[in-house]
Amino acid sequence: MATPTLGQFLNQVNGLIAARNEAKLADWLVLEPPFAPTYHAMIAELQATFPKHKEAALEERCAQSLRAAQEGDQGSNWTSFTRFMVQYLGYLRDVRAEASAYLDTYNLLRELQGRANSALAHPSLGYLMLQTVVTNARLLCRLAIGLDRQPELLAGSRMGAAEEEGGYRETLPEKAANTIRVAFTTALNDRSGSPGGLDGEGKPEGKKRGIYILANLCLKILFQCRKTRNATQIFEQISGNAPPLAAYPKSQRVTYLYYLGRFLFQHNHFYRAQAALQAAYDASPAHPQCAKHRRLILVYLIAANIILGRFPSTSLLSRPESHGFAERFTPLCAAIRAGDLATFHRLTALSSPHAPWFLHYRILFQLQNRCEVLAARSLVRRTFLLHGIAPEPGTNKAASLSLTSLITAFSLVAPREEQEEAQADADFDGAPAGEDGDLLAPDLLAIEAVLSSLIEQGFVRAYIAHKQRRLAILGAKSFGGNAVAAGFPGVWGVVVKRDREGGRVPGWKRGEGEGFG
Amino acid sequence: MSGAAQGSQDTAKAGLASDSKDNSQPLQPQKPGAQLEEDDEFEDFPVEDWTKEEEVGSQTTATHLWEESWDDDDTSDDFSVQLKAELEKAKKS
Repeated sequence: MATPTLGQFLNQVNGLIAARNEAKLADWLVLEPPFAPTYHAMIAELQATFPKHKEAALEERCAQSLRAAQEGDQGSNWTSFTRFMVQYLGYLRDVRAEASAYLDTYNLLRELQGRANSALAHPSLGYLMLQTVVTNARLLCRLAIGLDRQPELLAGSRMGAAEEEGGYRETLPEKAANTIRVAFTTALNDRSGSPGGLDGEGKPEGKKRGIYILANLCLKILFQCRKTRNATQIFEQISGNAPPLAAYPKSQRVTYLYYLGRFLFQHNHFYRAQAALQAAYDASPAHPQCAKHRRLILVYLIAANIILGRFPSTSLLSRPESHGFAERFTPLCAAIRAGDLATFHRLTALSSPHAPWFLHYRILFQLQNRCEVLAARSLVRRTFLLHGIAPEPGTNKAASLSLTSLITAFSLVAPREEQEEAQADADFDGAPAGEDGDLLAPDLLAIEAVLSSLIEQGFVRAYIAHKQRRLAILGAKSFGGNAVAAGFPGVWGVVVKRDREGGRVPGWKRGEGEGFG
Repeated sequence: MSGAAQGSQDTAKAGLASDSKDNSQPLQPQKPGAQLEEDDEFEDFPVEDWTKEEEVGSQTTATHLWEESWDDDDTSDDFSVQLKAELEKAKKS
């Protein structure tokens, strides 16, 4: 069978390469069904003349027509493009759009991505492939996430997890992300343009245009499929080699900062996380259509800020994207503020009605672990307000609080389950249980441990007068005698002083002289 | 074969500029957590770029987002009253 449509198509593609027409080339290399009628004509020709296993003949046919690729540029041929075209035509021939074929489509696209990546790697012509590489990566990303969510589509295949060296099983989403990461690395290491990767107008040039969009696609797969261990390399590579984020379109910037913020949050770098997420939130479009983006950013931005001792304001919680946040975050903040550790533990327990929501976003354990110390600080502060002793005027004595009062205060909020458990254990051991179930109530040692930790972290400015069994506040004089202000500096202020570190956030490339956050 | 190029306009993605055209949807966003009302996929933005004026940060500079000084000296809430009673009780005993 003659192949006139295929011939025309290859001639057109050859012309576009000769003319270095990147945009048109991407327009012609359509990837997503449904295809236009002319493509169907070509697909029919391919099926008739170049069915599967006739790839060698197809490659010969492509090589004949794609002279511009065969000749290449500056003495370096671009046969990797010809091989891409063979794969691409095979993809057109074999792809099916129905849901039952998603796994096959995924496999076809992943092979095609590999070929496209190779073509992208050509030092002077590779940039012509960038848009096609990104489009392919986007489809691959969508399929990888879709398949990960519908494992029944993987039934009968061994694609769910492939054994690798060392017994580590690389999952389908990780494989997809790794394939896209090859293109990301190629874009990052492009040496065809200026060393900084930006043109005269400060815009990214060459393949470097694709750095963040490809990174974002990898990160999307890794976060959606909860395989974030591989994200580290992406952030490290960007830290080392990428042009400043500010040179890229805002959609790419905000998306990248969202993933970077989540990654930092997950690794307990809460101050850096809030800096990245705050920048992402501030630069988000205010348009109602983008409320979901802002909401996702806010979930992590609010959690990071609470951990750092900054609570969301009423005005933030009443924004449309904050729908339902107040009922989840406000009681938590109130318990921290009051020093009501019992309520705090109840709200962050797995049995709490909101626990599934916090778990869904993977912020429960961070809130539980990191905010407890803030609630403990408030409890010490409140106990001091109620039972602290001001220094006698004219003496050098510090304002102080009896540790016995703190034992009483912490006993009041000791987790009930623990008390019950303690009682059960005590019964089991045959030891006499205390009348009020206070067997495991904190003792002097436990209180001193809590206080030492608070003092060490800078949340309480005081020392423990062990012999007198008192907590003595430091520096009240420089606060005009206000022992509460001296002894209990604001948490956020303490954290900023400790964590700011000159405002650098690894993974966030900023131009010189750019402000922070 | 200009027809191909023309026909391809509907389906082709314009690569880097196609944030605006991409309809990325999960195949079927059904998963066990679906009852949580929320899908946590950070979708592509409907447009690629926007002006400074369109940013949330520019539109709401006057509003304050965070409470940094939340320490509460009021000891009349339920918890404080309970705490006070306990402290008094312990003092007497």
